[in-house]
Amino acid sequence: MQARRVVLGLVALLTVALLAACSGAPVESGSDAAAGSDAASGDAASGAVELQLMGWASSEAENDRLQSVVDNINEAQDGFTLTMNLVPDYDTKLQTSMAGGAPPDVFYIDSFKFPDLVASGSVIPVQNIENPDDFYPNLREAFSSDGEFYCPPKDFSTLGLIYNTDMFDAAGLEYPTTDWTWDDLHAAAEALTDAENGVVGLALSPDMARWLAFLYQAGGSVVNDDFTAMTINSPEAQEALAFYVGLVQDGFAAQPADLSAGWNGEAFGQGAAAMTIEGNWIMPFMTDQFPDINFAVAELPAGPAGKATLSFTVCYDIPANGKNSEAASQAVNLLTNETGMAAWTDLGLAMPTRASLRDGWLEQYPDQEAFLNGAEYAYPWQFRPGFSDVLDTFNSGLQEAMAGTKSVDAVLSDTETVGTEVLNR
Amino acid sequence: MSAGAMAKVGSPSPVWRRVRTVLSYGLLILLALTFIYPFLLALTTSFKTLPEINADPVGLIPSMWTTEGYARLIGLNVGRWFFNSAFIAVIVTVSNVIFAGLAGYALSRIKFPGSNAVFLALLGTMMIPGIVLLIPMFMVLRLLGMVDAYTGLIVPKMVTAFGIFLMKQFFESMPVEIEEAARIDGASRLDTFFRVALPLAQPAVIALVIFSFQGSWNDFMHPLIVITTNTELYTLPLGLAFLRGGIGQNLQWNALLAGSMLTTLPMALIFLFFQRYFIEGISYGGVKG
Amino acid sequence: MATGIKQQDRQDAIAGWLFMTPTLIIFGIFVFIPILFALYFSLTDWNGISPPGEAAFVGLRNYQDVLFGGGIRQQDFYKALKNTTYFALGVVPVQTALALFLAVVVNQRFLRFKSFFRTAYYFPAITSSVAISLIFLFLYQKDGLINEALSFVTFGAWKPVAWMADARGIFHIWLNWLGVNSERVPWLANTSLLGLSVWDWISGPSIALLAIMLMNTWTTIGTLMVIFLAALQDMPPQVYEAAQMDGAGTWTIFRRITLPLLRPTTFFVVTLGLMGTYQVFDQVYVMSSGGPAKTTLTVAYLVYRSGFNNFEMGMGLAVAILLFIIIFILTMIQRRVTEGEKA
Repeated sequence: MQARRVVLGLVALLTVALLAACSGAPVESGSDAAAGSDAASGDAASGAVELQLMGWASSEAENDRLQSVVDNINEAQDGFTLTMNLVPDYDTKLQTSMAGGAPPDVFYIDSFKFPDLVASGSVIPVQNIENPDDFYPNLREAFSSDGEFYCPPKDFSTLGLIYNTDMFDAAGLEYPTTDWTWDDLHAAAEALTDAENGVVGLALSPDMARWLAFLYQAGGSVVNDDFTAMTINSPEAQEALAFYVGLVQDGFAAQPADLSAGWNGEAFGQGAAAMTIEGNWIMPFMTDQFPDINFAVAELPAGPAGKATLSFTVCYDIPANGKNSEAASQAVNLLTNETGMAAWTDLGLAMPTRASLRDGWLEQYPDQEAFLNGAEYAYPWQFRPGFSDVLDTFNSGLQEAMAGTKSVDAVLSDTETVGTEVLNR
Repeated sequence: MSAGAMAKVGSPSPVWRRVRTVLSYGLLILLALTFIYPFLLALTTSFKTLPEINADPVGLIPSMWTTEGYARLIGLNVGRWFFNSAFIAVIVTVSNVIFAGLAGYALSRIKFPGSNAVFLALLGTMMIPGIVLLIPMFMVLRLLGMVDAYTGLIVPKMVTAFGIFLMKQFFESMPVEIEEAARIDGASRLDTFFRVALPLAQPAVIALVIFSFQGSWNDFMHPLIVITTNTELYTLPLGLAFLRGGIGQNLQWNALLAGSMLTTLPMALIFLFFQRYFIEGISYGGVKG
Repeated sequence: MATGIKQQDRQDAIAGWLFMTPTLIIFGIFVFIPILFALYFSLTDWNGISPPGEAAFVGLRNYQDVLFGGGIRQQDFYKALKNTTYFALGVVPVQTALALFLAVVVNQRFLRFKSFFRTAYYFPAITSSVAISLIFLFLYQKDGLINEALSFVTFGAWKPVAWMADARGIFHIWLNWLGVNSERVPWLANTSLLGLSVWDWISGPSIALLAIMLMNTWTTIGTLMVIFLAALQDMPPQVYEAAQMDGAGTWTIFRRITLPLLRPTTFFVVTLGLMGTYQVFDQVYVMSSGGPAKTTLTVAYLVYRSGFNNFEMGMGLAVAILLFIIIFILTMIQRRVTEGEKA
């Protein structure tokens, strides 16, 4: 009979727990911080609104720096208290809380996802963005929809040409200059390739987020300006893709996997490639993981139509239907005004998006000038809603083209077909 | 098959038998090594410096031992995460044994109307990718006030279809006679279950304990959505996921692997402890070599 | 007498449902409601970010698009289904057989260091998946240990491949050896079936997918071994003793007695295997994101991609429901086969 009592007890306990939970009384109350945005507005008595800032967990240095910036902001005013909540698997987490009706008050948006979020109607513009004209025009553009500037970018990175100075010296080559063209890149890659020792001139990943810079340098584009027709199957695109894939087929470049590396930076750090194309994020990586490699950064070479690079950027935005839009906007402004942004970007991991901070930053990080110069001619890494299918198709084709199993023409025409389908949805 | 199984009645010569035994064990040990090697590699790699990991990722012995990976863990709230994980796993495991046991027993032993439909429905829930249930699950939890609370972390996991299925299949393969004898002696269904059936199913219960504990111990997605702001509730896998960082390129591998040692070793001890109860009660081979 | 039986039936019915009550409460709230939600929203154009109430009902359009739409969605679905099926066909038989073998071995009475062997074979199941994917990425590299080992075993005939970046299908490679390829036999490339050419359908798993299959098998064996082990412990000893009296050999006992007695467990293990392989997601998510050339795109990963990358949750849910139907049918066939043998 004892066993029965145990079970009945457990069942009863469970039922009570469920009922208690249903009635809304927290059975196991979390700490005060657990209030979340739901309860936040109820905290009117103390006068300060509780705001939650959600972003993705990053390196320890970055997490700590952001925390100190947030602390400063909390001290500087008493309208609100900002709590930082950096999470792993950010996209899944953000989407779950937004769809579940409990969005954070302030959160990161990657430029690639921005069009999707605007289209879904789940984000609204930040109110009274401070000194908006100070942001680089192409970054402002990246976070604008229908001419309205939604959210100030917190920082940005661009693609540059990373090169191993020791290998250049050993080969007796001049370092890359701002006047470099595709021909120079090709020649240097050829000269630096040392097949016997398994070194290629250039590590190139089969990724549209790298190749696109070459497309823009060739004067091509993926889609027309009003997103009504695909323009990727063009002579310019063919030239850019043939150049990119040609480097690999000639043996002067290789994808990271063929160099036994997970990504370009690793291949470069291991000395399997003399050059590669990556963004600012490669700097801390090299310092931490390959402290002995001597390298420098140059601007990407110019193509037939001139210079171009890609910029990757993230902004702080606020949710539609948020209860604290005003305070949240104020918080975003404090994070991205000149003081807030300088406090953040002075860490040197990504660049300030305000032109007025350019010189001060450059003084601290002169070795990253090439990245910063890219701001003038960079195209944002961004398309329109639903473009992931196009990206997947292109990358899939590029992987096959690099492996020699698909022609450049077929890659472009397949991408065009899928893109047209997406545009007509 | 193995040393024991291969030794047939009246094997010809003792020498040959010994050779065969040695060979069999050699094979088993080789196999065991391929199963443990990645773990050993992860263990020693957690003591390597970052440059060395990059230079020689598969070398087993670090040329320079460092505890910098473990040092990074110290700054984190690891103790609290550990407690949360263990606390949740213990409750989830105990409740799974009881509830899945009850359900599995009912489905295999008691003829009640609708049992087949119930079983199929439960089985069906295992056939939908869990990822699509995250958002509705979050909504339900919010409605019940279980977000940012232990209840949200525990209650939805208190019984699993896997556990029920496991117990049902085991009860089905057990002879009914003993239970029927107990029933004739006047024991109620519940008594029969607790006094007779569950003890007889000890191997299955041990397996269920191991799997439930492990499932809860390693769960990542569920705590991720349940915890929105209260970081005091973080579990070990969730907390350690921070070490992976943002873009995932500049990974601090040594710290990451140090963290994964922290999740693996307790689980290994639990397994080591419970597997002893898989006693060789049955003379399977029974053949004297 | 008749009333006695009836009363017994009633008591059984009550007991049965009472035993099920905790399960039904928990499942009702936390599993069945979310599944009904998923079922309904697979019929809408919900993007997965906006409040679901705003989604428009579109009927079976998502299903229509995925199954017969003719576009990239259809192509990706069948591509994923093809990859997943190759995955399941390769993994399920191998892991089941190996797990059973190991379980029988570590269940031997005469085996020494039993705890060590059991724990060793179970280790992949408990080693954290992050550590495992990391180590395997290293092992699968072009200059990694696996290529070196294969090269050693084949006396240098093995040409190193970058496992995780190799999109070539293994059946394609074999067919090529036999002189069959899409250029020599053009109809293979030109005949299209459900959005993929016949040549695509018969690709077999790509090298990259094969790499994930091997890793998956390796990590799952331990769990399945424990299940078999537990079942072996439950075997009634009398049966064996009788068989031994009759002078039956080890192999005969295994085939005639052990295997039939293990039938419920084998059904369990194979069903678990089918459900696990058809929903394979984690390794793809961590190691390959569906690449290279979509050859590791699995159905479950496609679900995730639609819902969380492409903001087409309605579409993703439709694919999830289709996956459910596929697995359900396979399980029912499996059950019929197992029960048919019993009769």
